[in-house]
Amino acid sequence: MIRFENVGLRYGNGPEILRDVSFHVLPGSFHFLTGPSGAGKTTLLRLLFMSLRPTRGLSFVFGENVSDLSAAGRAELRRRIGIVFQDFRLLDHLTTWENVALPLRVMGKEESDYREDVTDLLRWVGLGDRIDAYPEILSGGEKQRAAIARAVIGRPELLLADEPTGNVDPMIADRLLRLFVELNRLGTSVIIATHDYGLMDQLDAPRLVLYEGHLEVR
Amino acid sequence: MAVQLIADIRDYPWRSLFAGILPVHFQPKTTQIVPSASIAGNALTVVIAIMTFLACLTAGAVYMVNQSAEAWVKDISSEITIELDPVNTADIEKKMTLVSLFLAKQAGITHVKPMTAEDSAKLLEPWLGHSDALSALPIPRLIAVEIDRSNPPDIKAISEALSQNFEGVTLDDHRRWRAEIRTLTRSAALGGIAVLVLVAAATVAVIVSATRSAMASNREIIEVLHFVGANERFISREFERHFVGLGVRAGLVGAVSAGLVFLLLPFVIHVVGGGPVTATEMSRLVGTGELDLKGYLLCALVVFVVACLCMITSRVGVIRVLKSYA
Repeated sequence: MIRFENVGLRYGNGPEILRDVSFHVLPGSFHFLTGPSGAGKTTLLRLLFMSLRPTRGLSFVFGENVSDLSAAGRAELRRRIGIVFQDFRLLDHLTTWENVALPLRVMGKEESDYREDVTDLLRWVGLGDRIDAYPEILSGGEKQRAAIARAVIGRPELLLADEPTGNVDPMIADRLLRLFVELNRLGTSVIIATHDYGLMDQLDAPRLVLYEGHLEVR
Repeated sequence: MAVQLIADIRDYPWRSLFAGILPVHFQPKTTQIVPSASIAGNALTVVIAIMTFLACLTAGAVYMVNQSAEAWVKDISSEITIELDPVNTADIEKKMTLVSLFLAKQAGITHVKPMTAEDSAKLLEPWLGHSDALSALPIPRLIAVEIDRSNPPDIKAISEALSQNFEGVTLDDHRRWRAEIRTLTRSAALGGIAVLVLVAAATVAVIVSATRSAMASNREIIEVLHFVGANERFISREFERHFVGLGVRAGLVGAVSAGLVFLLLPFVIHVVGGGPVTATEMSRLVGTGELDLKGYLLCALVVFVVACLCMITSRVGVIRVLKSYA
């Protein structure tokens, strides 16, 4: 599903942020991506999401060489990926429900086909009473859950999450982890970037450890 | 290519495009991924309305001049004029009668009207004024001849026959006038096209600038749309929907204003002090001075073209900016 070979990345003429990163992600697998702050976790997630291109090496996403893909080709692949950003990236002028439904609108689905699904998912992540609320009045944890719901609503083949439990209490964190595990059981590959060892210890999943730009699989 | 175009037209979100044409307050809120408020609204609407107004005025004026010239050409095409030189002619009245009888016998001529010396003098009055001295001048005498347009006479043969049989008689088929009128209408049309091209260029420039500004202020939305898998076409449609709506609304305001100008023009001329002479001169230039149904349809076409310009320019602008992001 994902294959990186000797991937390196630098911004402009700066130092390499990632060096000789090589790893495979198989369909249906579950990985944690960890490392100290500034190690390049978010950068690696952006490479996986194709919002950055490697400055050297080869990266394959769903079997496609990212360097050869057109903008339309990347957009097509992104529809198969769900992503949760650390800063949520919710649209302030859309309600929670509309934010979560956004990927389905982009796919061209009719609202009547997904109305119930979006509402059910929002209830499941504990936002049943915040359906019509706008992001600016949501707490950090609520925004995080809305962002996660948006990432998973389209049943992606690959889920990338950047510190998805960073702003929620332990009970909600457990619930969200269960959601990720459930998605994984249904066939979605999951990569969670975190430095929450408590979270990682709950699952027996391989860890991609980034340290000073190098990646090690443990 | 054709299959792709048909698929594009079939899959185009027409419903949301038409929703975008509605005034902002009546648009369904859920359809707006890119909020209307984030698009440069009022100033752009005013500029496009003014551009459409100017384009409609130009198109309408050129259309009226063209219609008037067409009618004029049609009129003079149905007539020829015979001119008799009075110099060295002992009995001009007899010659008038002989020439008239000769003309009346020719095939394709429906009516022959010899004009009196007073009629000829009247034609010179605008230049020479009313004076008894005119009668002392050797003013050429004229015969107005109406021809059958469905079965026109052989003008060249008649002209040659007149020259052979009568001395000092010439035939004027108004060809020179028709050529000059056609030159005038062509010049007016070219001038109009030049103005329309300038208006279109200015409209495109304004929309390009507004598109860039809209994209800059909505960059976060564009990023999120990318994250959820939106392609360039989807994103450009979200923007172009607003610009088409804005273009149609502003275009209608401009076109209706121009239509009112055409409707009220005779009244305005009267109010600013124009008398019957002004009205006559106006009618010579632009016929009745009012647009007919085709003229108003031309204004509607201008609105359609403005909407298309808004759509295409914003789409190309958005896609260019998106490519620069990549």
